[in-house]
Amino acid sequence: MKLKVTTKILDANDRIAEENKKMFKEAGVYVINLMSSPGAGKTTLLEKTISAIKDKVKVGVIEGDITGTNDAERIDKLGVPVIQINTEGACHLDANMIAEAAKELPLKDLDLLFIENVGNLVCPAEFKVGEDVKVMILSLTEGDDKPLKYPLMFQESSVLIINKIDLKDFLDVDVEKIKKDAKFLNPNIKIFEVSCKTGKGLDEWTNFLLTSIS
Amino acid sequence: MHEASIVSQLLHIAIAECEKNGYKKIDSIKVTIGRATGIMIDALLFAFNVLKEGTLASDSSLIVEEIPVRAMCNDCGEKIESNENYIIFECPKCGSFSINLISGKELNITEMEVSDEA
Repeated sequence: MKLKVTTKILDANDRIAEENKKMFKEAGVYVINLMSSPGAGKTTLLEKTISAIKDKVKVGVIEGDITGTNDAERIDKLGVPVIQINTEGACHLDANMIAEAAKELPLKDLDLLFIENVGNLVCPAEFKVGEDVKVMILSLTEGDDKPLKYPLMFQESSVLIINKIDLKDFLDVDVEKIKKDAKFLNPNIKIFEVSCKTGKGLDEWTNFLLTSIS
Repeated sequence: MHEASIVSQLLHIAIAECEKNGYKKIDSIKVTIGRATGIMIDALLFAFNVLKEGTLASDSSLIVEEIPVRAMCNDCGEKIESNENYIIFECPKCGSFSINLISGKELNITEMEVSDEA
């Protein structure tokens, strides 16, 4: 017996993501899904960004990691509300995890919520969590071949932050190639070159961020 | 790596559909996977064979139809087909960025074979 089905496999996740989006919108909070490989500098970028803008906007953070509370402890030191999700092995955050974590946050008091996804350049790109925008980081040490090797992440993200730009002169990495390939995959992608270590380029990024929220 | 999550959702939908229609066993599940979804078919099949154990689908096979990226240029009408795993934004013929994506992002269950005998 044949059954015709025609169902989107990720329909359940997408539905919850839509509900999350509605909940965030009603609470008046702008949500960023921050994604990158492990070690690209997601938590450091968050520390620098939050320190720079926390007097102007109220920020909250959801930290996604396979295990441990290291990242949430780092954010907690900045005095902003933070919830740690441990995925216990899962390689990405999904909409349901965010729905549960969001219950623990004072959403109505927030202007901006960062969701720091699990470090992974593949899987998080596939799962909507209810964000307004997806932002990805690529650090220079990862190499200039990454856009064409991990196209989905670059096609799903609205913003690409190229981090560790202070290492440019020490590495055989072509920054222009990263930008060219990222634009080939996603002509509308907004690119920032930053160094979380020296602070270079962070003003442009935080100004862009503040404009996006308002 | 996220193929296991996808298979888990897929099995959830297929089993619910089978039970809803009063059948006892799933013999096969047909899915369409667009090339630009980033899904690895081998990883998908591996996850399916592990996760189907102990369910109504334990004897079933997963039939995968891979869909290439297809698009059409809104300016020159060029029909574009690619086996790459990303979406095309620029027309290879006239350079236009006005492209209408036709396929390549599919992640759907389309058909199942079910039977009465457990």
